[in-house]
Amino acid sequence: MTVRAAAGALPLALLGAAALALGGDAVPVEAGLEARDGRLVASLDLRPAFPDDLRKTFANGLTNVVALQVALLPEHGDAPSAVFGRVLEIRYDVWEERYVVTVRDAASPAGRQLTERSWAGLRRLLSDARDLDLGPAAAVATGSWVVQARVEVNPVSRELLERTREFIANPPSGVRGGAPSRSVLGAMASYLLHGSDGGDSRLFAARPFTAREVRTP
Amino acid sequence: MTAPGPAGGRGGEPAGAAAAPAPAGARPRRIRPSRFEVQIALALVLAAAVPLGAALWLASRLAAENLALGLNPRVVARLEATPALYGDLFQARKQLYAEQARALARALPRDAAAIPAFLEAAVRHTPRLRRIAVIDARGEVRAEAENPEPNPEGEWREAPARVPLGAGETLEAVFAVEARFFADLDDARELAEGMAGVEALRAEIQQSYVRAFALLLGAWAVAAGLAGWWLARRTTRRVSDLVRAVRELARGDLRVQVRVGPGGAADEVGQLARAFNTMVDEVRESRDRIVYLEKISGWQEVARRLAHEIKNPLTPILLAFQQLEAHHRERPAADPAFARLLADAGEIVREEIGTLQRLVDEFSGFAKLPEVRPEPADLGEFAEDFARTSPVEGAAVEVARAAGPCPVSLDRALMRRVLQNLVQNAVEAARPAPARVRLGVSRARDRAVLTVSDDGPGVPPELRERVFDPYFTTKAEGTGLGLAIAKKIVLQHGGDISAGAIPEGGSRFTLTFPQREAPPPPAS
Repeated sequence: MTVRAAAGALPLALLGAAALALGGDAVPVEAGLEARDGRLVASLDLRPAFPDDLRKTFANGLTNVVALQVALLPEHGDAPSAVFGRVLEIRYDVWEERYVVTVRDAASPAGRQLTERSWAGLRRLLSDARDLDLGPAAAVATGSWVVQARVEVNPVSRELLERTREFIANPPSGVRGGAPSRSVLGAMASYLLHGSDGGDSRLFAARPFTAREVRTP
Repeated sequence: MTAPGPAGGRGGEPAGAAAAPAPAGARPRRIRPSRFEVQIALALVLAAAVPLGAALWLASRLAAENLALGLNPRVVARLEATPALYGDLFQARKQLYAEQARALARALPRDAAAIPAFLEAAVRHTPRLRRIAVIDARGEVRAEAENPEPNPEGEWREAPARVPLGAGETLEAVFAVEARFFADLDDARELAEGMAGVEALRAEIQQSYVRAFALLLGAWAVAAGLAGWWLARRTTRRVSDLVRAVRELARGDLRVQVRVGPGGAADEVGQLARAFNTMVDEVRESRDRIVYLEKISGWQEVARRLAHEIKNPLTPILLAFQQLEAHHRERPAADPAFARLLADAGEIVREEIGTLQRLVDEFSGFAKLPEVRPEPADLGEFAEDFARTSPVEGAAVEVARAAGPCPVSLDRALMRRVLQNLVQNAVEAARPAPARVRLGVSRARDRAVLTVSDDGPGVPPELRERVFDPYFTTKAEGTGLGLAIAKKIVLQHGGDISAGAIPEGGSRFTLTFPQREAPPPPAS
């Protein structure tokens, strides 16, 4: 089994793989498959994952996170052959009036920044998931395969967990305007704090495909 | 802790001169806890677990309520809406600046020469206008004015507003927006994101607080349990030691003792241990006394029979020999050698019969020791009276007595015989030098003590127990009955006698007697 995950999004990708393996009710999506330099590269149309009612969420001026985990699975199997992870941090700049998107995946673990002026542009950017590296193209030479994707909006990420741990370990002091105070109980609670499967998570799946349906340039 | 018992000590007192270790007194190494310890430990665990459960439930409720208070949904929603409010503020500012720029464009003079002055005046009189310029179609600045105030610490950010003037020209007005808005916006966003994270992890945070509380309480309970176990063990160990000592006592070990530690000497367990030690001491002394007296009685019976068996043939032997001598005197022998032989034999027979007679007398005296009839007396006065009225040849007797009365019950005649035996032993040990004997009288708790010390060669340590056995003697001509008789008399007084030594090397015999209650002073 080849598991290639983005360095920055590896934990999420592995979590996603475990979740994906469980299956569930997946929403059908369109997928494009291409063999590029010997690797299977997928593109997904994830418009159903970003309905219009997310506009208010993404335009609230806070940092919103979209975690995308894509897995390649045999049609009749639940162990992914390859997993791809991508994390998008979206912040609406209320001064500049534009969306600033930071994309982290295997190709750019440090993140690459994109900007979009409008919700329509942002939605297009989020929905049009491209360059999803699903491992060697030879892996799908035989049999029938399925591409599944899990999209989580504002999941409990490692960063959020760390930030929350810091927050409860150093709660605000009782004095108004006072500096954070160190709390023994809070420090222990932060140490014992585990993540959750919280967040808005949706599962998508493309129709099964075979090697013949993989485009070659 | 059981410990070797002092033979002469009482109630856990330090061992006396006759102390001997009790082999069963050593406490065996304990690995398994006693049932008593297990019961106490269980009680402690139960006592700790019940409030622990209640405290955990309370902690869970407290964490939930605190989180509910801290994460009021309205507060969180307001916080999350803060960046949008800033957005509205910025929009309003931008609209205001655009309107101001349009107003300036409308008022812009048509005379090109007047434009610079107008711009200068606009910068001076328009709030937050930092710079204004007229830019032609080629993008070149035709005229401009700028507020000379510096912005060294980034106290404002630029907000440009552009108004087309016609013929490709543009009026560009750059206004200032306070930089603190952006700092406040960042702070608000950070706080809102933190709160959103806490909100997303509310259930997990509550659980982690309960876990932390459980951990702290558990650690505290373990520490308290260990401390309680340590304290309980100190008590249960002493109780277990007592139980073990009682078992050893039941097996017949009368030298077992329970050690009374300095920390627990004052409590009930310490008092119980002290009482146990006293009881064991008294039982052991009583048993020793009974055993010795039974042994002495046996030896007295032997002495009586021996005296009888020896004494009976002595008179016929003597009479027979006297008849032989009388017969020889009636018929003077023709043989002078036989006459000499008979004379020598007669001398030997009479001498040996005399020796046997004295032995019989001593055996008889030992066998017929009279019953002790004690009467109230003062031990110090008795000792002084003995030194004054019972001189022993070859001995100088001194008396040293403690101040105050030392009331005892004594059979004066028999006790006088005891002292005579002891002084006589000192005289014989000191020969040919005269003996110097010191009688000491003192009190120790409820006992009266009489010591008889001399400056002779002393009694070797290994013989100090045996010297009181009947017929045991180290002297060539002794019968070994003197000290046996002395011990029997002392024991019959309820006392005890032991042999020891003084630092200078002489012997010291210590006689202890129960003190008699002093009579009340006569009423005046």
